[in-house]
Amino acid sequence: MRLLTHNMLSSNIKGVTNGFPLRLEIEKAVEKQVDFNVDFLKNMFVKIEWKALVDASRAMGYVDLPDQTEPSMLDSDEFLKKFHHALLELHLEEGALICPETDRRFPVNKGIPNMLLHEDEV
Amino acid sequence: MNLALYGTCFESPFLVQLQRRCDRDRGVRKARSISRSRATHVVASATRMASEEGVVQLQKGIAELYDESSGIWEDIWGDHMHHGFYDPNNLSVSLSDHRSAQIRMIEEALRLAAVSDDRLLKNTWVVESSDDMCHKENPMKRPKRIVDVGCGIGGSSRYLARKYGAECLGITLSPVQAQRAQALAAAQGLSDKVSFQVADALKQPFPDGQFDLVWSMESGEHMPDKTRFVSELARVAAPGATIIIVTWCHRDLSSEEESLKAEEKKLLDKICDAYYLPAWCSTADYVKLLQSLSLQDIKAADWSQYVAPFWPAVIRTALTWKGLTSLLRSGWKTIKGALAMPLMIEGYKKDLIKFAIITCRKPA
Repeated sequence: MRLLTHNMLSSNIKGVTNGFPLRLEIEKAVEKQVDFNVDFLKNMFVKIEWKALVDASRAMGYVDLPDQTEPSMLDSDEFLKKFHHALLELHLEEGALICPETDRRFPVNKGIPNMLLHEDEV
Repeated sequence: MNLALYGTCFESPFLVQLQRRCDRDRGVRKARSISRSRATHVVASATRMASEEGVVQLQKGIAELYDESSGIWEDIWGDHMHHGFYDPNNLSVSLSDHRSAQIRMIEEALRLAAVSDDRLLKNTWVVESSDDMCHKENPMKRPKRIVDVGCGIGGSSRYLARKYGAECLGITLSPVQAQRAQALAAAQGLSDKVSFQVADALKQPFPDGQFDLVWSMESGEHMPDKTRFVSELARVAAPGATIIIVTWCHRDLSSEEESLKAEEKKLLDKICDAYYLPAWCSTADYVKLLQSLSLQDIKAADWSQYVAPFWPAVIRTALTWKGLTSLLRSGWKTIKGALAMPLMIEGYKKDLIKFAIITCRKPA
């Protein structure tokens, strides 16, 4: 699971008011090389919850993302490369995503999160 | 199941034995407390809530069916697990034509959602059209974020991500499908654009309003609670987003009818049993649901005539040496699904089953 996906996932357990972002529990993280695509990055940039991305990337051991951004940073190649790396190249292979309100674990196996709820959580 | 329904191609003694074993297994299973048939009879109307336990059983059955059968399907048919869209005048279709037909299905669905009204196909009815001329001149905006609800092994996700250069997230109940979908994406250099999750379409794991295009290609028929299914599609759609639902429905009821005829229900029940489908609804039911959620520009079409070659083609591939040996290696769920295919043809012939598409827009 790359962090772009993590930035989209939330816990929808019954009663939870804000299930985003999910915390990361990391058992196995890998880095995968992904082709650099500026247009794609610029499209994604406007939709990303930045703080969630920064926190998640730091949990994965990558500390180079700035805390805050402004649109002019998109002109900087250096920034785009860091953004690209954090967003697309850091992968959680094994571990879990944790609901911020209930601490419920959603397992991640072979990079695939399992977000299915149990009967009593619906 | 009555073998006589299947016609001459299914009268071999081998298949008769297979049928008896399915029936015997069903008898054993009925005696057990876990009742799968309960799950398939759970919801009679689009507005009634399904019992949660029944839903869980159904979802488990769906996951297992696809865990078991996706590999065989992909082996013979490729990575699109949906009907092809065919020219009604062209009766002989080869297997390679089916692949293009499946891609055409995606393109025709996008076209219906995007085009202005005067270019619609036959059998399309426009329920509500925006008076806003700007919409007619600016059809569906190029989506940047797409959700594929009931994504299978990701055929649509990869196609749409590639077509629009967009990010696409797929959800499926089947872990096997999700893994395979991810592997195919990686092999095709699409790991940056598509990702797959095991998740429930009735409780999508996304915050509100995230997606420009909400895509459900032949997954609606598995949803036990159509109201919740459609509500979730609307919830995750961003303002101005397009929602496209392609699904199996039963015929619309006339104004005098309260329900389908008994023999119609009986046929659908058999199909439900084999394919882990909850109760069916009509295209009109979907339209009503979309209207109740204040969605706009609702269009609905009956594409049954454009998919007619599909089931006979699937049956033919099942009866090849490769098909039969694969089925034998697969498992009972897959075999039962295969044996039920002539029921689908019967349903279409009787104008009971409709291949429906319903599209709409979320207000901006």
